[in-house]
Amino acid sequence: MRKSLSLAVLAVLAGVLLMALAACGSDSNDKSSSNGSSSGNGSEFNAALPASDQKKGGTLTVPSVESFQHLDPGQAYFQLDYMVDYAVHRSLYYYKPDNSETAVPDLADGDPQVSKDGKTVTVKLKKGIKYGTNKNVPGVTGSEVKAADVKYSFERTSKPSVPNGYVSVYFPFEGGPSKGIETPDDHTLVFHLAKPFGATMAKALVMPITMPIPERYAKKFDADTPNRYDTHPDEQAFTGPYMIQSYSAGKSLTLVRNPNWDGATDTRPAYVDKIVWKMGADPTVRDRQVLDGQNMVNGDTLAGPTVKRAATGAKDQISFSPLGNRYVSLNTQKKPFSDVNVRKAVAAVLDRRAMQLARGGALVGDVATHFLPPGLPGFEEAGGMEGPGFDFLKNQSGDLKVAQDYMKKAGYSSGKYNGPQIVMYGDNASPAKDTTLVVQRGLEQLGFKVKFNQVEHSAFYDTCQTVAKVKDKIDVCANPGWLPDFFDPYAMLNAVFNGEAIVPQNNVNMSLFDDKKINAEMDRAAELTGAERAKAWGEIDKQLTEQVASIPWFWDKQANLQAKNVHGVIAKWNAAWDLSWTSIK
Amino acid sequence: MLRYIIRRLLWMVVLLFLVSLVTFVIFYLLPSADPAVMRAGRQGSPELIERIRHTLGLDKPWPVQYYEYMKAVVLHFDFGYSYQNNSDVREQITSRLPATISLTLGSVILWLSVGLPIGIISAIRRRSRLDRLAMGGALLAISAPVYWLGLVLLYLFANDIGVIKLFPGAGSYEPLTENPGKWFGSLILPWMALAAAFAAFYARMLRSNLIEAMSEDYIRTARAKGLPEWRVVLGHGVRAAITPIVTVLGLDIGILLGGAILTESVFNVPGVGRLAYDAIQHADLPVIQGTVLFGAFFIIVANLVVDIMYAFLDPRVRYT
Repeated sequence: MRKSLSLAVLAVLAGVLLMALAACGSDSNDKSSSNGSSSGNGSEFNAALPASDQKKGGTLTVPSVESFQHLDPGQAYFQLDYMVDYAVHRSLYYYKPDNSETAVPDLADGDPQVSKDGKTVTVKLKKGIKYGTNKNVPGVTGSEVKAADVKYSFERTSKPSVPNGYVSVYFPFEGGPSKGIETPDDHTLVFHLAKPFGATMAKALVMPITMPIPERYAKKFDADTPNRYDTHPDEQAFTGPYMIQSYSAGKSLTLVRNPNWDGATDTRPAYVDKIVWKMGADPTVRDRQVLDGQNMVNGDTLAGPTVKRAATGAKDQISFSPLGNRYVSLNTQKKPFSDVNVRKAVAAVLDRRAMQLARGGALVGDVATHFLPPGLPGFEEAGGMEGPGFDFLKNQSGDLKVAQDYMKKAGYSSGKYNGPQIVMYGDNASPAKDTTLVVQRGLEQLGFKVKFNQVEHSAFYDTCQTVAKVKDKIDVCANPGWLPDFFDPYAMLNAVFNGEAIVPQNNVNMSLFDDKKINAEMDRAAELTGAERAKAWGEIDKQLTEQVASIPWFWDKQANLQAKNVHGVIAKWNAAWDLSWTSIK
Repeated sequence: MLRYIIRRLLWMVVLLFLVSLVTFVIFYLLPSADPAVMRAGRQGSPELIERIRHTLGLDKPWPVQYYEYMKAVVLHFDFGYSYQNNSDVREQITSRLPATISLTLGSVILWLSVGLPIGIISAIRRRSRLDRLAMGGALLAISAPVYWLGLVLLYLFANDIGVIKLFPGAGSYEPLTENPGKWFGSLILPWMALAAAFAAFYARMLRSNLIEAMSEDYIRTARAKGLPEWRVVLGHGVRAAITPIVTVLGLDIGILLGGAILTESVFNVPGVGRLAYDAIQHADLPVIQGTVLFGAFFIIVANLVVDIMYAFLDPRVRYT
């Protein structure tokens, strides 16, 4: 008996020791509590900005959980894809990592010239930019980029092998790309638009669709589906400082220097010699490797515990970049939320502070007071961090009294809803699931009986973005969010709230908000430039907030982690590492 | 025996058809995202979505899609291409199989070489201190989830994040053909993590089987004949006790060859399991279908091999 007892004690002790060791690997030393009172974007964290003392050389390793979707610039539409494409290709314009407001010419030679009627945009190209390839391709390797190559980049999106999600939205060419793009000489592009959209289209020239692809080389790839230009990106023709040397889908990717890249024509310093990207990592292990390792930066979203742990114990290794927003969409075309006062009531009762905590606290984002996120033109004009000052969004923890007053205005004399059950859709996985539970609780406080359908993330978007499924059947889509395609308020607000942009499927206007006056103002603001543009979009943001086009509740900040010996630089517009600016110390 | 094997192989084909059909039907019946919409991107126009749907063949009725899929598989061994990243499914699976096979076979060798001796010693030294220690350890190993154990091993022994920097850590896998030394080193920790629970389970199972076998009359007869004890144990006891273990081993190998998802994920071993996991996350039917078919194939073949091995291990078993 005594022997058995001592063995049992030994076994328990061994178990405890193992558990303690495992705990050392998690966030056991995390004593932070995100109470929502402080911003995670303060100077105490790594600024991740370029510096004059950065050095050349070395190999950077980028482990990621996710894999790339499409590295063909004609198809790329994903943060990870962008990180690589902007290192291996050059677009007409691009954002320097520390300045997302003003794009600088990359392939282009000077700013785009927009005609007075806003229907023509002219871009001149730099001379002497050449293609590099892994294997020598006669007629392509070392040949100069011409205007026709950029034109072909647009033209090929009409082929089944090059589906592109945004060309038709931001580039409304008169008669399509073939007719709408003129190349009067090898270094001039003239874009003819079907509507006065030049001011906005000029801003979209930073997108990867403007990266040149020589027709003489890519045509044979584009004839087939799937397209080898996408599935075998190491066979692409590159103009950026790096080339894709090898790629294995879902496993690894290696970038090496492009011998035909001329730094004199580029503002990117391209510090490291080689970049090795490893996919399929476990987030917890990957974060630990970056935190304790050498020559590494994270490729995608960090695990929640890592963010808290690094924010307290490794402030010089973690950085936070604001980008995008989150909101709750109420169906504006169906009772009871077709009544703006009911929408205001829900906005008032919503405990956005609790939602922030459920999402991960102030480190990963601020409580939103309107739609345009910090830093974006129009943000300050819409009221900045304080917001436009509407009473129904004043109390971040929710205000039942204000909410009930609005319910009374909507005709519910008791201040509580007494109609039929409402239907809500939301994610079934944390952290989104946790935030939707707060929404459900808020609705129930106002007397709503909620039938809550929790579904897998992609099924949530599929359901809430199909008008036929939403229109008469769904009242609340609880956890949508939006990132701008380029750093401009149009890219943030138009698709999501312009009623004219509602489409039967893949409809991102989940609240089906359609206000003729605001639609017209958006169309008008799309034609403006400079301060006028920011002011107009700021006003539109205020109106959308006042009309509760949706309920804004969060402005995301993306956390990124670097190893101690890395000088990481964040591309603010993408909230991810800029591989051409990151260096080894 | 030959007729039996042929009959089983024919059943295997039928089973694979059924598995593929069930996977296909589940994908259509359960709520999941529309692959064409996902592929089009968040602002893809209705025209673009229809174009993609047509290109992927998703605009056809599902029985037609299934027929065309199976036709390509049977005639050309073509599993289609991923909705997610357009890459060839067969190429993806075959390029990942060596990692999964390496992980599986290495851990099988490890758990057999650890589990079986422990099981035998525990059975013949019943209720001894050694037996209690071994069985206590086995209970711990069985109770430890592989994901947790993997993390513990990494935090203890990985040369990048470990307390004692002994073995290559996560993401260090190199194919055997490229660098045998690094291949071996990179798999030591994954082998240990994967083998621990299996070794414990096999030890416990062999122990109880062997205890039962050692009380049989033929063991007494063998001893009465004056055979040395080690021959009694190994030649008569273990041979009888190991038959159920062979059955389980066959199944385990088949399942693991279909993908050891957790181990592959923790250690970032680019195997089939991780591929299947990612495909499920992205509603990527061709990849899901391909990995399920490969997994089912391995399980069925492993079962067949087990049944054939029975005939050699147990003289009472004869197939006709």
